[in-house]
Amino acid sequence: MLTQIHSLNILLPFLYFVTFAVYFLDFTKELKFFNRSKRIALFASISTHLFYLALRTFEFQHPPITSKFEIFSILAFAIGFSFFLLELISEVHKTGVFVIGISVFFQVLSTIFILDNYEVKEVLRNNLLGLHVISALLGYAGFTVSAVYGILFTIMYKQIKRNKFGKIFVQLPSLELLEKLSFYSVIIGFLLLTFAISIGIIWLPQAFSDFTYLDPKLISTTIVWLIFGTGILTKLVGNWYGKKVIKFFLIGYALTILSMFLANVILPSFHSFY
Amino acid sequence: MNFIGISLTHKTASIEVREALHLSKEESSELILRLKENIFSSGFVLSTCNRTEIFGFPKDGKFDFQPVLKTLLDFKHVENLKPENFVKYFSCSAVKHIFKVASGIDSLIIGDSQILGQTKDAFQLSEDLEFTDSVTKRIFDTSIKVGKLSIRETLIGEGAVTISFAAVQVVGKIFSSLENKSALVIGAGETGELAATHLRDKGIQRLSIANRTFDRAEKLAKKLNANVIEFDKLKDKLNEFDIVFSATSAEGFILEYDDIKLNMKKRKGQPICLMDIALPRDINSKASQLDNVFYHDIDSLNIIVNQNLQKRQSEIPKVEKIILSEMISFFSWYNTLDIVPTIKAIREFFEEIGNDELEKIKYKLSSDGFEKVEDMTHRLLGRLLHNPTMRLRQIAEKGTDPNEVASMSVLVKELFDLNSESHEKETK
Repeated sequence: MLTQIHSLNILLPFLYFVTFAVYFLDFTKELKFFNRSKRIALFASISTHLFYLALRTFEFQHPPITSKFEIFSILAFAIGFSFFLLELISEVHKTGVFVIGISVFFQVLSTIFILDNYEVKEVLRNNLLGLHVISALLGYAGFTVSAVYGILFTIMYKQIKRNKFGKIFVQLPSLELLEKLSFYSVIIGFLLLTFAISIGIIWLPQAFSDFTYLDPKLISTTIVWLIFGTGILTKLVGNWYGKKVIKFFLIGYALTILSMFLANVILPSFHSFY
Repeated sequence: MNFIGISLTHKTASIEVREALHLSKEESSELILRLKENIFSSGFVLSTCNRTEIFGFPKDGKFDFQPVLKTLLDFKHVENLKPENFVKYFSCSAVKHIFKVASGIDSLIIGDSQILGQTKDAFQLSEDLEFTDSVTKRIFDTSIKVGKLSIRETLIGEGAVTISFAAVQVVGKIFSSLENKSALVIGAGETGELAATHLRDKGIQRLSIANRTFDRAEKLAKKLNANVIEFDKLKDKLNEFDIVFSATSAEGFILEYDDIKLNMKKRKGQPICLMDIALPRDINSKASQLDNVFYHDIDSLNIIVNQNLQKRQSEIPKVEKIILSEMISFFSWYNTLDIVPTIKAIREFFEEIGNDELEKIKYKLSSDGFEKVEDMTHRLLGRLLHNPTMRLRQIAEKGTDPNEVASMSVLVKELFDLNSESHEKETK
């Protein structure tokens, strides 16, 4: 099984790269072949990835959340999977190249640095922790996808305002749709993060003797949750539109990255496992 | 192939000449009757605002364009026409020209979608007036096929190539659907009407018209199932609209920067599209500085039109490839026409012999026995004639050497002493 895991670990970045290339060619060349093949390529990539993650869980007897690079692999999968669903249910067909690129990035890092972790802390074998981490990661994947659509919205907005009607103008969907996609991704991300926080609130005090509500990771996650919660409220209640709401979510995403970096890399936390 | 035609288009004549020579449906019908009586055995007349074309097979088989020109000029009495206003086509070039017209690559606006419908109508008129035969019908069918293939397999008809349509295309890049949007068209002239029609075609939920002359607005609103807004109350009601098209002939701005700014406050920042398709402009372009205000004028929309025209231009080689392929197919079929009477004659000759011999033994056999012999005779003849028939068709379909087809035909007729008169080519 270990040989299969290693083979799949090498195969995955290639699969994601091929998928990225097909989406790129579909965006630039507009050929029917690429249009038909892109979703098949993405489905093959995420299916293989799911199988790989299942094999790892089974072989190493813990969910694949015990190192940064296992987390990166889950993040690559979560982003690919979120986009697969989004493309399936929405009319957006030309934005994959911007999203799948992120999966390629995380999976390449994971493939290079991931280790076979048989020996891990007992707490990392806990299924509740697995659920907590995976839902939080899916939540952050939602925010990432939202940021991608936010950036595309901003580019498209500027192109239309400046009378630039090139490839981006022709291929990207309407501003209204980009805004909707960004908003829906934030809602999905927010719900998943809320779920992750709820599990954390119930389970963390029992699992850690040194638990404190003043932990940097808890504070940063709460800040992220508050930022996106406020964004959703202003959009729904305050009737914010277009550029204003997109700008809010993009700033929110930048703060998320910053706070996560500070909490995970700079400041000490009971909540750090690696 | 003695197929000839004359063509006057935007490439060869001014708009005044084209207008003067334009034929209505009734006039086309009358002209066809004259052509049918005196010049052509079959053909067609196509007349649009950009072209008048007359094509057909001369009854006398000569490549003489003068009678066609004379008939047309006697019919329309157009002055100041010069010989260079007409391009003359014959045989292969005539067929190719018709295919090019149907594909839209010969149009003033390359890839014009209307021309295929106009060509179909012209062909239909010929059929209705019994001005067709198997060859012209084949030309008609192939032309329509070329037109359809060009639209389906190339991007020759893609993208907006008019200002109003380009404006609607930009609107489509701001709003995902027009089904829950409201639009206001200011100006009920030709441009305003075109813009309003495009919006209606795209499924706009609420359409309103405003015009200085209220009656004119009302008339257009009735035509497009829209509401009318009084011109004086325009600014007060502006916030109700997501899309505004302005196409008046007013000298100054109808909507100033402050009007739009106030409107955006009332709309609480909801995006608005301002399409200023008037010349001189109706809306102060400073409005484009406001957030969520998408202002475009003729100059900016022209960028899209030119881009799309360039794209269509680059698709011409693909359309020409389709035309070439269909020409090969058409002439392969046409060349078989030379051999068809010979094949028919040889089959009839053998069947006659078979029937004669069957007649001789008809009463010498039981009915069951006769049926078996009859079946066997037909099968035998079928098998004997299969290879010569197929070989003759193959030679004709190659179409590389018409003399080979003719000499083969003569040889077959000589060998079997076929009555040449009764087996003359029927279709030509």
